[in-house]
Amino acid sequence: MAATRRLGKELQDIRKSGQKIFRDIQVDESNILNWQGLIVPDQPPYNKEYPFKPPKITFKTKIYHPNIDEKGQVCLPIISPENWKPATKTDQVIQALVALVHSPEPEHPLRGDLAEEYTKDRKKFMKNAEEFTKKHGDKRPSD
Amino acid sequence: MAATAHSDVSGNYDEAIMAQVDNIQKEIAENQPLVSEKLEITCLQKNYSMDDFIYQAKIKDLGLNYSHVRKTRGDGNCFYRAFGFAYLEILIGNQLEYDRFKSLALHSKDELVSLGFPSFTIEDFHQVFMETIDAVGKSQSVEELLKTFQDEGLSNYIVVYLRLLTSAQLQKKSEFFENFIEGGRTVQEFRSQEVEPMAKESDQIHIIALTDALGVCVRVVYMDRGGNSVNHHDFPEDGSRPLVNLLYRPGHYDILYQKQL
Repeated sequence: MAATRRLGKELQDIRKSGQKIFRDIQVDESNILNWQGLIVPDQPPYNKEYPFKPPKITFKTKIYHPNIDEKGQVCLPIISPENWKPATKTDQVIQALVALVHSPEPEHPLRGDLAEEYTKDRKKFMKNAEEFTKKHGDKRPSD
Repeated sequence: MAATAHSDVSGNYDEAIMAQVDNIQKEIAENQPLVSEKLEITCLQKNYSMDDFIYQAKIKDLGLNYSHVRKTRGDGNCFYRAFGFAYLEILIGNQLEYDRFKSLALHSKDELVSLGFPSFTIEDFHQVFMETIDAVGKSQSVEELLKTFQDEGLSNYIVVYLRLLTSAQLQKKSEFFENFIEGGRTVQEFRSQEVEPMAKESDQIHIIALTDALGVCVRVVYMDRGGNSVNHHDFPEDGSRPLVNLLYRPGHYDILYQKQL
């Protein structure tokens, strides 16, 4: 299956690149379509129709973020069924995800309450997010 | 707070719609092959009630020039799949056209890369595309070609590659094509919203771009509720002889076969 060959190579490339932002990638040996990894902040699995349908991303770690809901669902345009292009590279998806984590987009939130707080009272948002992260966040790697 | 309510509702709404779309797609997949066997043109009569005089008359009219039809699955990829199959079927036994096309197809990947497509991910699509063309060159039977096009794992790779070629052509001649794009979108936006994603239906602009990219003339026969007879349009309209004939009914393309005289 060509998708297996492609993902194998993509995985190798990502591992080789040694990037710190997406690391500890674990691939289910019986199913290369299922990836787990740590984004400093966390992770994506793929469905079987890959690459014709987009991969799905859910956050395992709870995060205080306008674009990520309580179930860990994230609204990322690059992998929405409307926009997904089969030739999109996994790394482009990861980079888009990281960009969204770093810069929330309050214009189209999954959590309107957090978007409003983010827009109207940035200080309060930062404080709440920090407290939330202390409570629920994964331990950061030391480097 | 209105925004909250709205976004929550739209979130659930999207999920419900997506589940429904998934179910419809599943049902279509179970009932319709990606590309069908060759069927008598008269089989189209059964798609419309006998007192649907407009369509029944048009099917008769269609039957004057065309003897058979091959149906494709209504999954939004029908133009690419219909065109791909019909054209490769014609290449079986047409060595001159085959050689021209094979060389064009072989070099097309480098051109895509030079236009900025990611070499690494387009490689798989190009590879399946070339393997299919190679098989045609080794005197493959129509039945074997049909099997390739009925296998989702291969057929969709070919569809993606044809989409990439279409998108590349729009980019290459963007100054020309931007005049035909509706809704104030740029060529770049149009390519990434209406061409490269799977299941996005094709319009005339897609057909113009793909036939231009491949140097293949296609005749589209239109059958709708207007007028008394079917009418056709050739792409390009420069007097070239159409190699591929497609039937267009609103929202869908099938393959047509001319009557052998």
